[in-house]
Amino acid sequence: MSGSSDRTLSGKTAIAGIGATEFSKESGRSELQLASEAVLGAIRDAGLAPGDVDGLVTFSADVNTEIAVARETGIGELRFFSRVEYGGGAACGTVAHAAMAVATGQADAVVCYRAFNERSGHRFGQATASTRGATSQGLEFSWHLPYGLSTPAAWVAMCARRYLHKYGATSEDFGRVAVAMRRHAATNPAAWFYERPITLEEHQDSRWIVDPLHLLDCCQESDGGVAILVTSAERARDLPNRPAVIASAAQGAARDQYMMFGYYGADDLTELPAMGVVGERLWRDSGLGPADVQTAILYDHFTPFVLYQLEELGFCGRGEARDFLAGGGIEIDGRLPVNPHGGQLGEAYIHGMNGITEAVRQIRGTAANQVADVANVLVTAGTGVPTSGLVLSAG
Amino acid sequence: MHEELTALAERLAALGEQPAPPPQDAVNEAMIRNWRQALGDTRDWGEEAPPAMAQVWSMPGLVSRKEPSAADDILQTLNANGYTGVVATNCEHTYDQPVRVGERLRSTARFGSLVGPKQTGMGLGYFVTWYQTWYVGEERVAEMLFRVLKFQPVKRRPKGKPSAPAIGLDTEFFWEGAREGELRVQKCGECGELRHPPGPMCPACNSTKRDHITASGRGTVYSYVVHHHPPVPGRTPPYVVALVELEEGPRIIGNVLGAEPSEVSVGMPVELTFEKVDDEVTLPQWRPAGRPAPEPKAVPERVSDWPSSEIPLTPTFIISTAIATRDFTPVHHDVALARAQGSKDIFLNILTTMGLVQRYVLEHNPDAVLAGMKVRLGAPAYAGDALVLTGTREGDTVTVRGTVSLGDHVNATVTLR
Repeated sequence: MSGSSDRTLSGKTAIAGIGATEFSKESGRSELQLASEAVLGAIRDAGLAPGDVDGLVTFSADVNTEIAVARETGIGELRFFSRVEYGGGAACGTVAHAAMAVATGQADAVVCYRAFNERSGHRFGQATASTRGATSQGLEFSWHLPYGLSTPAAWVAMCARRYLHKYGATSEDFGRVAVAMRRHAATNPAAWFYERPITLEEHQDSRWIVDPLHLLDCCQESDGGVAILVTSAERARDLPNRPAVIASAAQGAARDQYMMFGYYGADDLTELPAMGVVGERLWRDSGLGPADVQTAILYDHFTPFVLYQLEELGFCGRGEARDFLAGGGIEIDGRLPVNPHGGQLGEAYIHGMNGITEAVRQIRGTAANQVADVANVLVTAGTGVPTSGLVLSAG
Repeated sequence: MHEELTALAERLAALGEQPAPPPQDAVNEAMIRNWRQALGDTRDWGEEAPPAMAQVWSMPGLVSRKEPSAADDILQTLNANGYTGVVATNCEHTYDQPVRVGERLRSTARFGSLVGPKQTGMGLGYFVTWYQTWYVGEERVAEMLFRVLKFQPVKRRPKGKPSAPAIGLDTEFFWEGAREGELRVQKCGECGELRHPPGPMCPACNSTKRDHITASGRGTVYSYVVHHHPPVPGRTPPYVVALVELEEGPRIIGNVLGAEPSEVSVGMPVELTFEKVDDEVTLPQWRPAGRPAPEPKAVPERVSDWPSSEIPLTPTFIISTAIATRDFTPVHHDVALARAQGSKDIFLNILTTMGLVQRYVLEHNPDAVLAGMKVRLGAPAYAGDALVLTGTREGDTVTVRGTVSLGDHVNATVTLR
């Protein structure tokens, strides 16, 4: 690792264990059970016991408290716990928090988790009806919800329209992301859409959700839980799995940032400035660049922001993502295989956490759709919100 | 289902006239007096019954179970197939002979026709027509055509109002302005920077001194979406949500009203309008520039050769006329039940509407004898509203129009002898 300063996180920690439940539309069990199963899975995968873990990190949005998960799994005493805000933007941020705690000696082994019945329980895709009071976030929502701008698809679609307008792109350009994700999921047995690829025609024929987004531009709603165990890189090397070293970890919010309503800043709705903040730090701390990653896990709750991310993170120029896609750039054998597991469009929507486990498998060489010779993987978290990212490296 | 209905309609039509339950009372002074008092009919009818009362003599009164009508089988089949909505569309009277006090009427019913399915403003539906005929002995004295639309109610979901904005100390000036018909944009009291959405501290100079300007109300569509799914309270899809760039610079979210989604485009000029949600919340909204505001359906100008007559629809009027016409259906006297069935309030019954049209015609032509009335029914006449009748006579034909605040309640063609 070429992170030069003493004040860098680069290379000091690693992901040593991953755990997950099955991905479904109706888990049939409580969210706390899903969280506990996933966390225990990550601990066992790392070759550790619950008593070896002393920290837990999750999303602010998660309904399972750290102490409840600790009680259920028999983790025992906790020396570190924290939560990360802003929906799916938290995903890589949980690992960043865990890595910081381990690197500074606040904890020895920290598990990050996210578990929900997001399809059979509270569905994010339904209209948000209430602003829930005059908090700063309630007031933000109040400029939007009364007008029926009430769903994540609609919030993203507002930006996507502008992208289409500026670059002369079409819905088919978005559709190519969905087709690629479903093609990858089709050969991943863990994916909900295993053996169910789609064509571009099917994407175009799928009904409007919020024009310019079709149904097949939107990720799934899923039930499931995922957990990731972080410990020191040194200790990870003594554990059973090949470590996925955290080469860099970053969180980012842009100037004039809103939660999904990036409509009021200086940019013209065709960029993801928060991801720009994250990307800059990831490349700087890891000493790597876009050409150095063999595969990328790009957050794909809605197809348009995959194009934005390819541009924001430097994989292609502004407005060029559609050419990148049309040339097969994100296929398994393309210039940058994106989401070999099928992403959230194809595998499952676990708020970005299943993407981190895929990155770990790609490093280990155990993925269903394994990319050859993976040394470094980029992972991103929720887009349109304050976000986060990781670069994981074989170590 | 259509074949089944058509076959059933043919069978019913082939039955022809069938005896209907006989009126319970002979034509009598007491019922005529009640009817005249309730409807405000001041004409001296002598020994004659007002012809518009024809159906009143056959009304069953306050009974727990009505006798089936000639169209019952059809109506129930339609119900069972999802055509659960019903609205009366036409009522036509033909008067052959005057009916006098002391006479006993006999009545028959026959099925008329089934027409449909047709796409209507209420939803997909069938028009069902049936007849009732009244006789004195073998002499036909009056006949009535009655037509209803049975429809599949258009799913209006979800109900309710748009989400209410949370309003705090830093944003209340905006919502106050909207209630007063202004779009207010925050302006820093120190450096003058404009800003939307507003907040407590100027990000440019950190001043907490706040002021605002009133925006011109002109802007362009910077971006927009067309919402189709899922259902959103208070909005009927597909609807347009736009990010509007104000002439003054800042951007703001709003709906584009009064335009088809396909008419909206990036760069389209729009002008400010307002949507009043309730007493607390008014939303600044947008419409295509240079196009009139989408007003609630205006009541067309009343053209009349005869002076108009305004009838205040007090609850007492609606209830007493319903009872005087022997119509005990609860929607005409019980507010809670009327609301439970989706009405705003209790409303005028059709027999009264017929009687009021007759009354209006005879007030302006006291010596006329009615040969018949054809009535097209429209918006309900709710308690608290007023029915304004206007009329024009051409030869033996009088056209009467009755309007309420919601629009046309009745359009009638009355034929004189």
